[in-house]
Amino acid sequence: MIDSLFVLNATGKIIIEKHWRGLINRQVVDYFNDQFSKQSSPEDLLPIIPTPKYQLVHVYRSGLTFLSPVSNEVDALLVLEFLHRIVDILAEYFGELAELSIRDNFDIVYQLLEEMMDYGYPLTTEPNALKEMIVPPNIINKVISQVAGVTSVVQHVPNGSTISSIPWRKAGVKYTNNEIYFDVVEEIDAIVDRNGAIVSSEIHGLIQANCRLSGMPDLTLNFVNPRVLDDYSFHPCVRYNKFENERVLSFVPPDGHFKLMTYRVNLPHHQSLPLYVKPQIYIGNGGGKFDISINIRNTEGKPIENVLLVFPLAKSVSSVNATCSLGSYIFDPVTKSIRWNIGKIELKDRAPMLSGNFSSTEQTPESGHTITIDFLINMYAISGLKVDSLKIYNEAYKPYKGVRSMTKAGKFQIRT
Amino acid sequence: MSEYLSKAAAFAQNAAKLSKKVSEGIVENAREFGLEATSSGHYFDTSEEKMRDIKRQLDSRHDREKMDGLKRLIAMISKGRDVSEFFPDVVKNVASQNLEIRKLVYIYLLRYAEQEPDLALLSINTFQRDLTDQNQLIRAMALRVMSGIRVPVISPIVLLAIKKCMTDLSPYVRKTAAHAIPKCYSLDPSQKDALVDIITTLLNDNSPFTIGSVITAFNEVCPDRLDLIHPHYRKFCRMLIDADEWGQIVIMGLLLRYARTQFLNPNPDNHRVAEKEKSKTVYSDEDSDESDNSLDKSYALDPDHEQLLRDSLPLLQSRNSAVVLSVAKIFYHLAPTADAYKLSKPLIRLLHSHREIQYVVLANIATMATQRPYLFEPHLQQFFVRSTDPAFIRNLKMEIMTLVATESNITGILRELQEYVKSPNKDFATSAIRAIGRCAIGMPEMAESCLNGLMKLLWSKNDAVVAESVVVIKRLLQLRPQDNADMIIQLAKALDHITVPMARASIFWLVGQYAQNLEKVAPDILRKAAKTFTTEADVVKLQIINLGAKLLSLHSTDHTLNLLFQYVLNLARYDLNYDIRDRARLLRGLVLISEKKETNIDNMGVEGMLSKELNESSILTNNLKQILLCEKEAPSEESPSVGRDRFTIGSMSLVLNYSVTGYKSLPDWPTEKPDGSVRENLDDTWNRNQYIKGFGSDSFGRYIPPSTYDNKPVTKQYNDSYDSEHFYDSYESSDDNRNHDEKTGKLNLLFIFFIYRKVPNKQPPENKKYLHLEIKY
Repeated sequence: MIDSLFVLNATGKIIIEKHWRGLINRQVVDYFNDQFSKQSSPEDLLPIIPTPKYQLVHVYRSGLTFLSPVSNEVDALLVLEFLHRIVDILAEYFGELAELSIRDNFDIVYQLLEEMMDYGYPLTTEPNALKEMIVPPNIINKVISQVAGVTSVVQHVPNGSTISSIPWRKAGVKYTNNEIYFDVVEEIDAIVDRNGAIVSSEIHGLIQANCRLSGMPDLTLNFVNPRVLDDYSFHPCVRYNKFENERVLSFVPPDGHFKLMTYRVNLPHHQSLPLYVKPQIYIGNGGGKFDISINIRNTEGKPIENVLLVFPLAKSVSSVNATCSLGSYIFDPVTKSIRWNIGKIELKDRAPMLSGNFSSTEQTPESGHTITIDFLINMYAISGLKVDSLKIYNEAYKPYKGVRSMTKAGKFQIRT
Repeated sequence: MSEYLSKAAAFAQNAAKLSKKVSEGIVENAREFGLEATSSGHYFDTSEEKMRDIKRQLDSRHDREKMDGLKRLIAMISKGRDVSEFFPDVVKNVASQNLEIRKLVYIYLLRYAEQEPDLALLSINTFQRDLTDQNQLIRAMALRVMSGIRVPVISPIVLLAIKKCMTDLSPYVRKTAAHAIPKCYSLDPSQKDALVDIITTLLNDNSPFTIGSVITAFNEVCPDRLDLIHPHYRKFCRMLIDADEWGQIVIMGLLLRYARTQFLNPNPDNHRVAEKEKSKTVYSDEDSDESDNSLDKSYALDPDHEQLLRDSLPLLQSRNSAVVLSVAKIFYHLAPTADAYKLSKPLIRLLHSHREIQYVVLANIATMATQRPYLFEPHLQQFFVRSTDPAFIRNLKMEIMTLVATESNITGILRELQEYVKSPNKDFATSAIRAIGRCAIGMPEMAESCLNGLMKLLWSKNDAVVAESVVVIKRLLQLRPQDNADMIIQLAKALDHITVPMARASIFWLVGQYAQNLEKVAPDILRKAAKTFTTEADVVKLQIINLGAKLLSLHSTDHTLNLLFQYVLNLARYDLNYDIRDRARLLRGLVLISEKKETNIDNMGVEGMLSKELNESSILTNNLKQILLCEKEAPSEESPSVGRDRFTIGSMSLVLNYSVTGYKSLPDWPTEKPDGSVRENLDDTWNRNQYIKGFGSDSFGRYIPPSTYDNKPVTKQYNDSYDSEHFYDSYESSDDNRNHDEKTGKLNLLFIFFIYRKVPNKQPPENKKYLHLEIKY
């Protein structure tokens, strides 16, 4: 079980402190900050730090640290998953997660923490159920409460009627326009070696839904080709066995945004990646030359957008001189890396090139850095997964339905 | 010119003033509307005046003022300031009509009740009144807060409240009651018996919503009373899929413990298999068929055991990583080895999750891979390191790669590891070298190619890489002392450019240890070493002295060698480091004086005194080679995860590799099969549909409006007519006890089921128009 939670800002100052099983001295945070400052980057700190009395479990997101001292044996993932869930909920409540938004709404944060956990055990973590108990802040609420001198929640004491039946959906949802949208977002994780051979590649997909449907709709989503899915996980609303047997997603959706399912697809061997990066780097005396070209391979004719290539150089590099055939580049002297912002590549374009040289203060600058590239292809799912139809039961109206897909680079790395 | 400048300066000043005024005005206006930029910022103001103001605000008649005061107090708590002095003023507001004020009061109350137990009692009446409220949320909140006040005096009141709420119609309130049990137990452990009674009753609860919390309470209060679980075991298995995520984790943890005490090991160990073989051969003449059958039977899974595996399997598809790992835990510790492969793919999926989760999952995979590497071998590619992986993930990935290495994939793994060695990150490169070493030790047939790869690294520009590879090479060469002369010569050649002390020391040690195979080279290496002796680091000096002694013990008559060694010893004699001086003295006594004995004893009368001693030491002298050059056992290179496998999968102890407070290892399998009939529920009315189906992921049923199961009594049945699982189950089981009604019911079900199955085919074609709904929005 989780004993306490501290939310720390970027400098390690406590901004929220909550204890579920008796007070824990703030000194643990000092110890944590010591460890924190020893790391070169916050991501490098071990997620579970052992101390004589507590195990300090923490997650680091958006510049904030969520730190939980744990004194007794508990499933490690339960703590981590719960901490991430808190972050997700806070982000959903306040739009963006930042020190300021938490400070501004600290009373709501405390109320949420109170509802989400009881005596160190998770209690209510479904956003729909929470929103019924604690109204998210919005500007209109604020104005009303200030002007009328009353607060937002009082008028409506929720009776929690949905808590027992469907924890993830509010009761009495009403929309004048019923609509539901699905975003199929696929991320390509790949490692490509310097000769262009794929070392490893896989696709992680996510179906994100935005549901604005009245009442209690019961939906069935069919895929044209569910066989491409290699492994998958569902939102709790999806009926597992139905998918196992019939390969359809059958569910009563939560209200608002939610992740319907995530899946993993192994890219078949014959299929190529959307683009290839060909780096040629020669290290010479006190500097070097480089030549990087990008070729589009396989996008079903769609342009590749937001292409950004980051090419790190040795720490000793002092200056860079280069030209590129498309987009623009900058050399960041702090991180010692070249950021080549290419933007949109149309199919008809010639392969964009970046070539130039760099000089270094060292005789032979170190090499072997990994190039990363970021891109996005709209209206294209590389796995080929297609939604066939969406049927709605239990409600009479005909909603507006939309599906769009998108492929983007996840951890797409090219070794040099 | 200067005139212009002064004018411009004045103008700028005016502009600045104006803009400041304007912005102040805007802020002021905004404040009036309650929209100031940092709208809650003022709550963090802690000046004394403000503090006095809080007291006034709390006493105010206006809710708004009170809210303001309370928010201020809570902001103080966040800042770490002690505001317990306001306790009496806050407690007064606990009975406020305004729910939001009450919520804030609760937050304050829970924080400070421990310090002000007497005043906290004032609030109890309000809670007791709230326990009878119409609204289930208010009832639950009252119980939750009251039980959370850590004042031991109130434990009887809390106990009463739990008793009242455990029969509440709302599952949410019952859930809260279950949560209150461990709190009450920690307040007053003497209440244990009463609490166990409550838990026993609550275990009968048929709501999947409540059950996780009940089992949590069970685990805290009476984790060893597994006898209470017997009648509910099958129910828990079935409810698993309908419980909430956190409940699923707890239920699986309990069922795992239970299964380990109640079922037989599905993977009888080798010892028993061997026994089986033996018995087969002995009785093979008689009737082998029969003995085979009986053996098979004893390894057949108990149906209840199988049910747990079957019912937990779908949860591998949960979005919650902790649930997935819990299922993996069940399959790893309970399932026949042939079934365990099911857990690998979902675990691999979790590697796409947050960094922290990846870390825990990888630690668990590494642990499983030490025992069953084949589970993860097909997914080798997923463990390739990305340049952005932090160190703790990188190291675990490389460890897993070495653990799952087989003859068929080792070349790929080595190629990949050599890729990592090129990384500009020194830590990364050196740990990759260590991983190559582990591969070579694990697969002696690959050692040759690993060594060749490592030898190339000797010429790397990176000092750390060179040092690490020499250390690893030394380890590998020790494993095969026969044919390492060539390698050592190559190493010795590299000495000129290797500067890292540890690497140089390793090479000198190798040369000395295997000097027998290096007749020609070794003395020359000593010669060169003697030249640089004074500039070497301490570890290197020690090894040079050792090298000299070892060489001399092999060629005791070689005059040049003798002089060389003496020269080294003389240098060492005046060394700053006492270890080196000591070592020199020891080896001089051991090696050199014995030399003198043989050559000089006749003509050196002065040393006659010593001769007696020398004779005694001749035992040492005779065994000199044995002493200095005895076979040294190669250090075993253990994978860092060794030792983790003593812990249960998923536990915190496993990740940290030490026993965390409160860790309990899994019970051992029983040797005799316990009686399975205890799980037969004595209650005749029990059947699988009795528990209230959650909306349920596994029920095929369409949604039924909440009115039918809101506030429904615990035992009421949910007539789930579409439940195909039920259909299959009742169809297949030939249970004679079912009465006629149930049989007709079965027929109806069958009928409805077929109709239902037909329905999708009969969908009107106009639904097809939703096809290809790729719509931009």
